[in-house]
Amino acid sequence: MAQGSHEASTNIGDKIIEHVANSDVMIHLELFGIDLSITKHVIMLWIAAGLLVTAALYATRRYRKEERPVPSGFSNAFEYVVDFVRTGILIPTVGKNHVLKWGPLVMSFFFLILTVNFLGLMPFFNYINHGHGGTTATGNINVTAALALITFFAIIVAGILEHGFFKHWKNLVPGGLPKAVYIILIPIEILSMFVRPFALTMRLAANMTAGHIAMLAIFAPIFLLHNAYVGVASVTLNVGITFLEIIVSIVQAYVFTLLSSVFIGQSIHPHH
Amino acid sequence: MENLLRFDTGLMIWTWITFIAVLVILATKAWKPMIKALENRENFIRESLEEAEAARHEADKVAAEYEVMVAKARQEAQAIVSAGKETAERMKAEILKEAQEKSAGILRQAEVQIGTEREKAIAEIRTQIVDISMAAAEKIIAKSITREDNERLIGDALKEYGKN
Repeated sequence: MAQGSHEASTNIGDKIIEHVANSDVMIHLELFGIDLSITKHVIMLWIAAGLLVTAALYATRRYRKEERPVPSGFSNAFEYVVDFVRTGILIPTVGKNHVLKWGPLVMSFFFLILTVNFLGLMPFFNYINHGHGGTTATGNINVTAALALITFFAIIVAGILEHGFFKHWKNLVPGGLPKAVYIILIPIEILSMFVRPFALTMRLAANMTAGHIAMLAIFAPIFLLHNAYVGVASVTLNVGITFLEIIVSIVQAYVFTLLSSVFIGQSIHPHH
Repeated sequence: MENLLRFDTGLMIWTWITFIAVLVILATKAWKPMIKALENRENFIRESLEEAEAARHEADKVAAEYEVMVAKARQEAQAIVSAGKETAERMKAEILKEAQEKSAGILRQAEVQIGTEREKAIAEIRTQIVDISMAAAEKIIAKSITREDNERLIGDALKEYGKN
């Protein structure tokens, strides 16, 4: 019995990991020696991108024609979120004059991450690829690493566009300090240059995965104990966690976007 | 666990492709038009507010100017009225004085004339009385008294008359 329970819990652990991991390769694809196989997370990214592009194009249809459109309905709601990103994230970080230049990147970050995060809350993606888990693409560190790398290069490009190539690298450390300080400061600043995108990568992926793991762990006692009361408690608790995950999805999209925008802003306006 | 942290170049490249496709499509079709529209609206609202503020200031200024103008006009009117009154008063006084002087002059002249006329009349009456008396006396008395006596008698009589 003891051994059986141990086996069951190991199975549960494997199930949880399997659930939150990417699927196996669904369509094998290789181009120039690079593995470009289609997996569940690639499909989820496409679905999210398709939904986002459709919704955004529909919402902004009048903005492309009129100079001062009066939005209503869905456009109004969409504009509210865009204006939130503009006034809440872009203007305080990159500054009013750079909104048009960096706004599209930052808004694409926010809306794509938000859409992908929300897809993870939809319970039907576990049917893609024979019941593998329904965790979302932003719960995969490869996806978040790719996004964070875009931020990493955007930070450098923003600094170079604003200050020129050499001035940008000089801006990384404050000027006018004793030489001894630079011996410590330069490695720290170089390190922080890489730590920041790494933190972005881990934060988003871990947060998006953690919710799924928590929910699965709460569901697990049902299968271990076969008890109706435990079932009621688990489901009730998970309904609450689902609401929590809605908030987490929004907050994590916001945090990734805000930090990316802050780093780009620091590159444009070095406070030294 | 390895499953979770597995390095997957393919997925990274797909992420880039997807993200860049979204970025390229939405940058020109959605984000920029919307940002521009929001900025336009912001500017429009700010300009409208500034214009309204300027218009209000202008209205205030015009009202203040109008008030000053009205006050000035009222003052001027008052000045004109009081100047008119003063002129009228002065003219009245002058006319009155002139009239009084004229009337006084006329009165004096009349008095003088009356005096002269009176004296003239008295002198004439006196001569006529003498002549009449003489003629009468001549007729009554005829030649009873001499001419000298007669003249003396009349002279005495006139003296008496003059005394009276």
